[in-house]
Amino acid sequence: MEQLKDKLVSSFMVIENELNNPDWAPVFDVRQKAMDHFETKGFPTKKDEEWKYTNLKPILKHDYKLFPKRDAEAIEFKDVKRYFLNDIDTYRIVFINGIYSSWLSQTTHHGFDVCTFSSALLRYKDELSTHFAKYADNEESMVALNTAFARDGAYIHVPKNVTVNKPIEIVFFTTGEGAEVMTQPRNLVIADEGAKVQIIERHRSLTDHAVLTNVVTEIVAEKNANIEYYKVQNDNVSASLIDHTNVQQARDSHVSVGTFTFGGKLVRNNLTFVSNGENTESHMDGITIIGDGQHVDNHTLVDHKMPNCYSRELYKGIYDGNAKGVFNGKVIVHQDAQKINAFQQNNNILLTDRASIDTKPQLEIFADDVKCSHGCTVGQLDDEALFYLRSRGIPEYEAKALLMYAFSADALDYVRIPELKTRLNRIMGKKLNVDLELSL
Amino acid sequence: MLTIKDLHAGIEKNEILKGVNLQVKPGEVHAIMGPNGSGKSTLSSVITGREQYEVSKGSIDFMGEDLLDFDPEERAHKGIFLSFQYPVEIPGVTVSNFLKTAINETRKAQGLEPMPAKDMLKKMREKMNLLEMDKGFLSRSLNEGFSGGEKKRNEIFQMAMLEPKLAILDETDSGLDIDALRIVANGVNKLRSADNAVILITHYQRLLDYIKPDFVHVLWNGKIVRSGDKSLALELEEKGYDWLKTETLAQ
Amino acid sequence: MSDILDKVTQSEYKYGFTTDIESDQAPVGLNEDIIRLISHKKEEPEWMLDWRLKAFEIWKQMDEPNWANVTYEKPSFQDIIYYSAPKKKKELASLDEVDPELLKTFAKLGINIEEQKRLTGVAMDVVVDSVSVATTFKAKLKELGIIFCSMSEAIKEYPDMVKKYIGTVVPRTDNFYAALNSAVFTDGSFCYIPKGVKCPVELSTYFRINEAGTGQFERTLLVADKGSYVSYLEGCTAPQRDENQLHAAVVELIALDDAEIKYSTVQNWYPGNAEGKGGVFNFVTKRGVCERNAKISWTQVETGSAVTWKYPSCILKGDNSVGEFYSVAVTNNYQQADTGTKMIHLGKNTKSTIISKGISAGKSHNSYRGLVKMGPRADKARNFSQCDSMLMGDRCGAHTFPYIEIQNKSAKLEHEATTSKIGEDQLFYCNQRGIGTEEAIALIVNGFCKDVLNQLPMEFAVEAQKLLEVSLEGSVG
Repeated sequence: MEQLKDKLVSSFMVIENELNNPDWAPVFDVRQKAMDHFETKGFPTKKDEEWKYTNLKPILKHDYKLFPKRDAEAIEFKDVKRYFLNDIDTYRIVFINGIYSSWLSQTTHHGFDVCTFSSALLRYKDELSTHFAKYADNEESMVALNTAFARDGAYIHVPKNVTVNKPIEIVFFTTGEGAEVMTQPRNLVIADEGAKVQIIERHRSLTDHAVLTNVVTEIVAEKNANIEYYKVQNDNVSASLIDHTNVQQARDSHVSVGTFTFGGKLVRNNLTFVSNGENTESHMDGITIIGDGQHVDNHTLVDHKMPNCYSRELYKGIYDGNAKGVFNGKVIVHQDAQKINAFQQNNNILLTDRASIDTKPQLEIFADDVKCSHGCTVGQLDDEALFYLRSRGIPEYEAKALLMYAFSADALDYVRIPELKTRLNRIMGKKLNVDLELSL
Repeated sequence: MLTIKDLHAGIEKNEILKGVNLQVKPGEVHAIMGPNGSGKSTLSSVITGREQYEVSKGSIDFMGEDLLDFDPEERAHKGIFLSFQYPVEIPGVTVSNFLKTAINETRKAQGLEPMPAKDMLKKMREKMNLLEMDKGFLSRSLNEGFSGGEKKRNEIFQMAMLEPKLAILDETDSGLDIDALRIVANGVNKLRSADNAVILITHYQRLLDYIKPDFVHVLWNGKIVRSGDKSLALELEEKGYDWLKTETLAQ
Repeated sequence: MSDILDKVTQSEYKYGFTTDIESDQAPVGLNEDIIRLISHKKEEPEWMLDWRLKAFEIWKQMDEPNWANVTYEKPSFQDIIYYSAPKKKKELASLDEVDPELLKTFAKLGINIEEQKRLTGVAMDVVVDSVSVATTFKAKLKELGIIFCSMSEAIKEYPDMVKKYIGTVVPRTDNFYAALNSAVFTDGSFCYIPKGVKCPVELSTYFRINEAGTGQFERTLLVADKGSYVSYLEGCTAPQRDENQLHAAVVELIALDDAEIKYSTVQNWYPGNAEGKGGVFNFVTKRGVCERNAKISWTQVETGSAVTWKYPSCILKGDNSVGEFYSVAVTNNYQQADTGTKMIHLGKNTKSTIISKGISAGKSHNSYRGLVKMGPRADKARNFSQCDSMLMGDRCGAHTFPYIEIQNKSAKLEHEATTSKIGEDQLFYCNQRGIGTEEAIALIVNGFCKDVLNQLPMEFAVEAQKLLEVSLEGSVG
C-alpha cells in the first residue's frame, strides 16, 4: 500500500511538467492541491467510517504500471465487438489502457460534443474551469488521486434544448501489456438547460493480470435537463474498480443512474446526488449479482438541499460463494428542503453461508415536512414460490434462477434503452447460469 | 341556527368565496351542490375554522355567537361537526380512544363530568348497530387501512356519538357503493331531529334520494347562484351545471 | 401551528428541586487513591479493589469516543467527585427511619414508597447518590431465594456470585465509560433469581443524581438462573442543576437457559434548560447475554438528559434465544440523543425485534444507531427492525444509522425506517372533533409510541405517558 503510494507520488513529480504545460492551465492548481491532499491522507483504510466494510489493501499491493504505452493496435474490433451495443447505432468514446483509441471511437462536435477529456482541456477551457473538480469530493483521497492524475476520459456537453439522437457508449479496455495496470479515467458530462442524453459506461479488462481502475465522473444537469447514465460492470475477476460519480442537479432536472454489477474482483461505487434546485427527480437503481472471490460495495449519498424534490433508490443484491456485499445509502434532507419525498430500498439474498452482506441505510433529516423512508431486507428465495414453480414442472435450478431474476428485475424498470435491457437480461442469465429467455 | 352573511374567504390572496349568504334553521336539511372548484369544500372549511383559510369580509353567526371568534375545537364544542371528505389517518390511536377523548373534551368544555366508561361503551354499541358496523372496528387505528366506505361510515359513527347541532357532510356519498350509501343515509336520517340541522355538500343527486333536503343551493364561482327545493337537484341532474352558468352569466 | 408547538414544547422541567440531605463526599478528582478510598469506604474485599485498579489502568489508555452524533463539552474527569454517600449510620428496618426529606422528594415525584409498597407490590431499592438507603420486601423475596440488594452489599454477602459474573457481559475493556465505571462505581443493584423461580413482583429501582458536581456511576448486575423470570424496572429523575453532570452506568444482564428478563427504563434526568444550559450527560452501557432459549427484553422511554449515549444490547449466544428492544426517545430544546441497540446473533434460530420511535422537537437532535449482526453459526436467525422518527418544528433533526452485518444465508432480516411530522391535517381533524391542540399532540404522540408503551408494565406505562406529556406538552396529567 505504502509502496504504491510512494510510486504514485514520485510519478506525479515526473509527469508534473507534462501535465502542467500551458495548455493544461485551467487545472494546474487543482491538480497540485489534490496531489498534496492524497499525499497527506494516503489510501483509505478500514478505520475510515466510509471504508469500514471494504478493505483496499489486497488490491493495492500490486506493482501497477501507471503509464502504459500506446498499444491501440493490439486490439481488433472483432475481438471487442461484443462489449458494444451492436444492435443499434451509438456514439463511442473508447480508451485502451487509458489512452484514447480514435479508430474504435465515433465522436462528434456537431450540435453537441462527444469527445475526449484531453481534447476538451485544449478546446473548452471555460467549461473545464467552471466544472472540473468542482463537484467530486476532493477530500476523499481516491478522488484527489484521480484529480491529480486526470489525463483523459470522456467529455460530453449537450447544449440548450438539444436531444442527443443516439446513446453514447464510453468504454475503457485494459490490455495490460503483460503487466499489472492502474488507470485513472476522468469523465465530465454537462447537459445544459432542457438537454437530453443517454450514456452507457463500461470497463473491460482483456488481461488476466491485476487491473485497477480509479475513475471519477462528474455529471451536471442544468435546469430541466434529462440524463440517463448506465454503468455496466461485468469485468473479469482480476480487475478492480473504484468509481466516484457525482451528479449535480439544477431545478426541474431528471437524472437516473443505473449501476449493474456482475463482474470484477473488488468494485466500489460511490454515487452522490446533489439536488441544488426545486422539483428535481433522482433515480438510483442497482443490481449486484456476484460469486466467489468478489466484493461489491455500493455507497450512495443523496443530498437534498432544496424543497419539493423526489428521490428514489432501489438496490438489489444476490451473493453466492464467498461473495461479500456492502451497501451504504445515506439520505440527507437539509433544513430548508421541505416537502421532500425520498425513498430508499435495499434487498439482498445470500445463497451460501460463506457469503455476507453489510448494509447501512441511513437517514439524516433536518426538515420536518418530509416523507422519507428506507427499507432493507436480507433473506432467501421464497420456498412457497419455489415449490409452486416446481409443481408446474420447472426444474429446481431454473426455478431458482427465475425467482432470482424476478427478485432483481424491478431495478431494471428505469432502463430506457431496450437493447441495453436485453443485454443486461442476457448477462444476468449467464451469471445465474441458466439458458432462459429472461425478461418479465 | 346558522346565518352566513356576505361571506368572502380564500387562501392567501386567492378569493374563493365571493359573498355567500345562507340561513339554516333547526330541523332543516340543506343541500349544497356545485361543480368542482365552486367553493363547496372551502365553505365547510371556513365554517369549521381551518386555519389556512382567511375570511376577508362577512360573518357567520351560530346560535347567536360570531363563530369566527372561535378555534376549531371550540366550534366543535358548540356543536358543529364536519364529516371530512378525506378523513385523516392517525396511526396507533384507536377509534374508541379517539372518541372517548373527543367526547370527554367536549363535555369538559360544557362543564360536564367525563362520561362513565360503561355508558360510553353502551352508546358506542348502540350507534354501531345503527350503522351496521363490526365490533372489531373500535380497536382499529383511526382510519388507518380503512376502505373508503369504512372511513365514511366511521365519520357518521362519530357524528352519532357526538350528537352535533349542525352536521356538515362533505361529499360523504362520493366513493360509496349503493349499499354503503343506504346505510350511511339511514344513519343520518335516524339522527335527524327538530333541534339539529344538516348541510349536505354533494356532487350527485342520488344522495338526495335517501336524505330528503328541504332546500337545495347551487354554489358556483364562490356564490350561491340559485336556491330551491328538491326539484332543483333533479333539474341539475338532468341539465348539468352549464345551463345555470349560462343563465347566471346572462343576468 | 409553530407557535403552539413552541409553547407546548417549552414547558419547564417539573422535577427540578434539590433534596437537602447531608453528604459524605470524596475530594474532587480521580487517581488510584480515590479508587482505594471508594473501595475502603465500601469495605470491599481485596479482589474488588484489584479489579477496580485494573479497570483504571485500562481506562487511562483509552480515549473518549466521538463517533456518536452528538456534540457537547467533554466533561473534565478531574473535576468530578467520585464518591458521595448520605450520612446514614444504621440499617433501616422501616420507612419511619428514612430521612423525611427523602420521603418528601418521592412524594413530589409522585413515587410514594408506601403507596408503591402497599398498592403495587413493588419492592424498591432506592438509590440516592450512589448508596442504597432503603431496601424493602427483602424478606419476602428471600423466601423464594431471590437476592435483591445493593451492589455493595452483594460484594460483601455474595462475593462468589459477583466475582463470577461481574464484567462478563460488559468487560472493563469494552469502552471508555464502561472502564471508568468499573474503576469508580459506587453502588447499584444486584439481583439473582434462582433456578425455576418466577419473581412475583416487579423489581424496581429509582435513581436520583443529587449532590452538586457528583458523577454517578451505577453498576447493576442481574442474573436469572435457568428457567427463571424477572421483570425489572428502573426509573429516574434528577434535580435541576447549572453545571453538567455525568452519569455513566453499566448494566449487565445474564439470562441462563430458558430464563427471561424484562428490563424497563423510564429515564428523565434533567435535560438542561430551554437555552441548552446544564443537564445530565447520560453515557450508559447496557448489555445482556442470552443462553439457550433465554429471552431478554429491553424497553426504554427516554425523555431526559442533555446528551444521551445509550445502546441496550443483546448477545443472543444460545440457540433459540430472543432479544427485544423497544424504545421511545424524546428530545426537545437542545437535547441530543444517540441511542439504539445491538443485536448480536450467534446461536441458531435466534430472533430479535427492534422497535424504535424517536420524537424530536425544538432544536434537538435524535439519532437511532443500531447494529444487527448475524454470525455464520446463526442459522435461521431472524430480525425485524422498525425505526420511526417524528419531527415537531423545523429546527430539529432526526437521524438513523442502522448497521446490518449478515454472514449467514438462512438469515432473514427486515429493516424499515420512516420519518414524518405531525400533520396539520391530523391536528385539524382532532380539533374538529373537539380535541384541543395540546391534547391532540399528546394523542398523536401516544399513538405513534403505542407499540413501545404497550411493552411497559402497567404501573410504568402510566408514568411513561406522564413523562411524554411533561416533555412535550407542559402539563403533568
